[in-house]
Amino acid sequence: MTTPTLDRCEEPLGRLARGDMSAFEEIVKEHQSMVFSIAYHYLHDRSLADEAAQDVFLRLYQNLASIASPRHLTFWLRKVACRRALDMARRLPKAPPVSLQDIEEPAAESADADPLLSEGLRRMVASLPKNARAVVILRYQEELELAEIAQILDVPLNTVKSRLERSLGILREKLHRWSGGVTR
Amino acid sequence: MNPWEESLREALRRKAAPEGFADRVLARIRELPVREKRPWFQLRAFIARPALRWAAAVLCLAIAGSVAYREQQERQRRQGEIARMQVKQALRIASVKLNAARRMVQQVNQGTAQNRL
Repeated sequence: MTTPTLDRCEEPLGRLARGDMSAFEEIVKEHQSMVFSIAYHYLHDRSLADEAAQDVFLRLYQNLASIASPRHLTFWLRKVACRRALDMARRLPKAPPVSLQDIEEPAAESADADPLLSEGLRRMVASLPKNARAVVILRYQEELELAEIAQILDVPLNTVKSRLERSLGILREKLHRWSGGVTR
Repeated sequence: MNPWEESLREALRRKAAPEGFADRVLARIRELPVREKRPWFQLRAFIARPALRWAAAVLCLAIAGSVAYREQQERQRRQGEIARMQVKQALRIASVKLNAARRMVQQVNQGTAQNRL
């Protein structure tokens, strides 16, 4: 799990409370990857994800007084990132269904073990129903427990379980079709 | 996690934010309307601090406790005052009765003395 350590974040929060704005920059740099990735995996659009992530940090700046601890900060950022991404997705015109034949060969060198499969999976995740998408992202990007996801999304645990099961079913089926019936 | 879920985890690994992301965030913050810096907003932000909320809750409890204590003291003082007045009244009545009895005794004594003479 890549949650920032408490020590690394406690200090900037304390400095921020004393009015040191350079501490805010440290907080942004510490969490930008997490917030951007949630938005990117949700929207599958770098510029939209960039905008959504900026909005999240702007909202953080306006609500700094309500942040009680580094743990609360991470929880808050995940929650607001999911909500912001969902808001943006709702405003977007309905995307056409993803055809896996549309997936291009990655041009740049990628860190993924199988870049084509990874890109395909990312597109499939971005095409999941909006409420289910956040569950998959929080489960596999942030590697959170289902109870934590339920807290962040403010839904019952059973809802999280059913959304995750349904999403994995959809993804498995799409992947199965894509791989020509050869399951991994 | 099975291999399939492992692929999903791999695909959804965190990505680095675009170059200059933090700078763009800070630039947008600098462009925020001035109202955010007005005293009322600063006061509101100050009040919203969790530690201050706890302090306010403790202060409210202390004030409520103090008021209840004072009420109790006042009630006891009033009850004491009533009891004191009742005791005084009882003493006054007892004094009147004793005086009457003393007078009667004196009259009886005087009558006996005249009879002897």
